[in-house]
Amino acid sequence: MEKYAGICGSFPRPPELRRAINAFNEGRISQRDLQEIYYSSLLKVIKIQEESGLNLLTSGLLLWDDLLRPFSEKLGGIKLGGLLRFFDNNFYYRLPIIIGNIEWREPITLNEIQILSRATTRRVKALVPGPYTFIKLSKNKFYRSEDALVEDLLNALKQEIEHLHKFVSLIQIDEPSLVDPELEKDDRRWGVEIVNELLAKMNVPRNKLLIATYFNLDLESYSMLLEIKAGLHLDLLSNKEAEEAVRELGFKNDVLSLGVVNARGIFPEKPEEIAANIEKILANTSPNTLIVSTNTWLDYIPFENAVEKLKILGRILRNMEV
Amino acid sequence: MGYKLPEKFVTTVVGSYPYFPEALKAFRLRKQGKKNFEYERLVREAIKKTIKDYISAGVDLISDGEQRREDMAVFFAEELRGFEISDYVRIFDNVYYRKPVIVDKIEWNHEIIVKDWKYAAKLSQGRPVKVTLTGPYTMYSWSFDKYYGNMRKAVFDLAEALSHEIRILIKGGAEYIQIDEPALSTNPKKEDVILAREALEIMLGRLHNVKRILHICYGKIERLFPEILDFPIDQLDLELKNSKYILLELLKEFSFDKELGFGVIDVHNEKVESIEEILEDIRLGLEIVPPEKIFVKPDCGLKRLKREIALAKLKNMVKAAVEAREKLA
Repeated sequence: MEKYAGICGSFPRPPELRRAINAFNEGRISQRDLQEIYYSSLLKVIKIQEESGLNLLTSGLLLWDDLLRPFSEKLGGIKLGGLLRFFDNNFYYRLPIIIGNIEWREPITLNEIQILSRATTRRVKALVPGPYTFIKLSKNKFYRSEDALVEDLLNALKQEIEHLHKFVSLIQIDEPSLVDPELEKDDRRWGVEIVNELLAKMNVPRNKLLIATYFNLDLESYSMLLEIKAGLHLDLLSNKEAEEAVRELGFKNDVLSLGVVNARGIFPEKPEEIAANIEKILANTSPNTLIVSTNTWLDYIPFENAVEKLKILGRILRNMEV
Repeated sequence: MGYKLPEKFVTTVVGSYPYFPEALKAFRLRKQGKKNFEYERLVREAIKKTIKDYISAGVDLISDGEQRREDMAVFFAEELRGFEISDYVRIFDNVYYRKPVIVDKIEWNHEIIVKDWKYAAKLSQGRPVKVTLTGPYTMYSWSFDKYYGNMRKAVFDLAEALSHEIRILIKGGAEYIQIDEPALSTNPKKEDVILAREALEIMLGRLHNVKRILHICYGKIERLFPEILDFPIDQLDLELKNSKYILLELLKEFSFDKELGFGVIDVHNEKVESIEEILEDIRLGLEIVPPEKIFVKPDCGLKRLKREIALAKLKNMVKAAVEAREKLA
């Protein structure tokens, strides 16, 4: 079993980038100045991950305003609406409003992935929002047929993912809506079907693809996630049933990512305890690739606390390797 | 100077108003630890300008605009004992707040918003001034807890602490007490709804001759029913415009009969609602409660809007309420 440690998605913006974005929005610095600060911030976040002992890196998604944003801004046929709460967080995303044919026009996140893969010799992971979550969190004012909407969105995501996959070891497709506890069973099943449809469309090896869910995991939702024909990232901290679900139902695909470090709280975890617990969870299952990760994105805690969480992830990996 | 509230379709605000430059300067001084004479002058100037806008728009029941509060949770956390403030955490886009951390037993040890309420009341030309406090459930949900490790205990201590402030405000003449609980609608479990009710009992349960208001917005408000009907409040203040009035069916189903804070202004949209549009929306409220129980107001605080837009929205809201009194009452 190959073992990796890496964050689930974003890393908090370094303070200098946060200030630079404000300065740019207020016209106090140029686009070029902002780009320079972004570049140095990205290198800083890469270095933090490496120094923490992580061996699966992300770009930290430092310019993403929310999970959907780079895509709702750059795909054709979508305009931005008002702010809506992102699941149960004190965090808001902008509603994508679909007003025309969804079209992929140019690579959306390729630039950050190229910088990342050039800056590190370690494995890297790219992220895209999943189609089901994109649809659930958007407002459709254009398509009369749901099938046509799904078809166009899948084609757009397929093009983005196919552009990215040469530069990365893994592509994570974020689908938090798939485990929304409010979902009816049929709706969840439809979500799984859409995700499998996307996977089938793409010319990318399945062992490079990871469907990420977070904010919930119970027996019912996990049993349905197991129908997905790719790797899974699971939030084991969201629900008391989560660990039990994995222990009971096992896992048969190649890549399993376990969200075991809390990205929504600042209490420091004990790496030794977590490493021992992972062994118990995996008693009946043996994926080819195991990733230890934060349960979700790190947007919900301050920068310095996020640095500490990365160190904990690194120590969990070292504990597991002993 | 007396001001008689209209008997029907009273117009009001939820609490916050776009920050005036003086408020922004005051925030900077506060961050530098300079809560001095100049800081107080700036806050008062910002409150004065807020009240002037409310009066020019014709709003009946007003607030101090929360011009002293950079953030609804951080402000109270800075003033109550038991909190520290962490570094910045993102709320949306590139907007951040400094998330509070509970590090000790939470206690009230000095007046927090009394002077702002008194100052606003002095300038209000007789209009009643609503007091707005961030509720204990939201305060806890939007903080990191390093001390209690037990939500229930922390929420009750917060409720006790805020009760001190409420008692002083009432003694000083405040007649409208609003508790803001936006976190309550995020993903409430039934035990959370019960906890929120128990906390409200501590704060509002024994109050008489005071209008007790609960403001909730954005999220799964429907999950608070039917328990919310038994909350110790006189008025439920809801975000309705943004969610296209879908809650009205539920209010109808449960024969809602308290006063209803009726959101007719989308505070996340810069488009100014027309008088006709607002009037049509107000008409929807009549299917639930009579005009005497409808308080016409924005969905939520106005602080994220540009001042000109906020003011234009309030002006149309008031004009629509005046027309409603003629045409719908």
